[in-house]
Amino acid sequence: MNQTAAINAVMRTLADPTRRAVFERVVKSDEITVAELTRGSGVTQGAISQHLKSLKLAGLVAERPEGRHVYYRAEPKGLAPLVDWMGHYGIFWRDRFASLRTLLKEIDP
Amino acid sequence: MNEAALKPDTQDIVIDEVFPHAPETIWKMLTTGELIARWLMAPAGFEPVKGNRFTFQTKPAGAWDGTIHCQVLEVMPNERFAYAWKGGHASNVGYGSELDTVVTWILSKVENGTRVRLIHSGFVTPRNETAYRNMSDGWKKVVRNLDTIAGEQASSKLH
Repeated sequence: MNQTAAINAVMRTLADPTRRAVFERVVKSDEITVAELTRGSGVTQGAISQHLKSLKLAGLVAERPEGRHVYYRAEPKGLAPLVDWMGHYGIFWRDRFASLRTLLKEIDP
Repeated sequence: MNEAALKPDTQDIVIDEVFPHAPETIWKMLTTGELIARWLMAPAGFEPVKGNRFTFQTKPAGAWDGTIHCQVLEVMPNERFAYAWKGGHASNVGYGSELDTVVTWILSKVENGTRVRLIHSGFVTPRNETAYRNMSDGWKKVVRNLDTIAGEQASSKLH
């Protein structure tokens, strides 16, 4: 997936309010099962599973099967494509600080 | 969840370094067009006067021509200099997305030099998304990690 496709996937995935609510609950817990996510959500376990599948495809959650249960946890790395502007300027300003330092050395040794 | 209470959260880039030069020397570097061109980018129409509008030309992306539109917001000689930094286009995501930010330089005299603090504020992440609502500690942890990850990603792209 290229950068734009990755960003689109994350944006599309989080645009759905129910799915975003599922993601937020996963983020808030260390690990959580489908059954726990379904409890009190007002939607069926099948629907929750579908949302988890989309979140997994977008790289936002990871799963860990253990016995008869599957535990889900958030993948903070999945949100990284969204902060591309910030990442760009983080590097940009650091580079410019280095140029400023070099130029100052020349001008005011 | 209350939709009305949702506001996109913003984040800042902060760089804080000490330079072995006088504040007056640094000030000159930050506020002289020809010097800015030598360490930052060549500004067009720049004057260190409150209200002055100037531009920088950067790499275009999609519907955005790459122009950064700036306006001087604050001039306190040898101490504080701030300008608006706007660009991008609403149809872009990531690099080239809509950007409405402020760049602030704060200088303070320290022993043998000047402490230079740059604050580039107003990054909306994720853009137009309400994923930052109901900020819990868990979310804050995720957001803190974002900076690190984005930095790593950007630097691996450069090498």
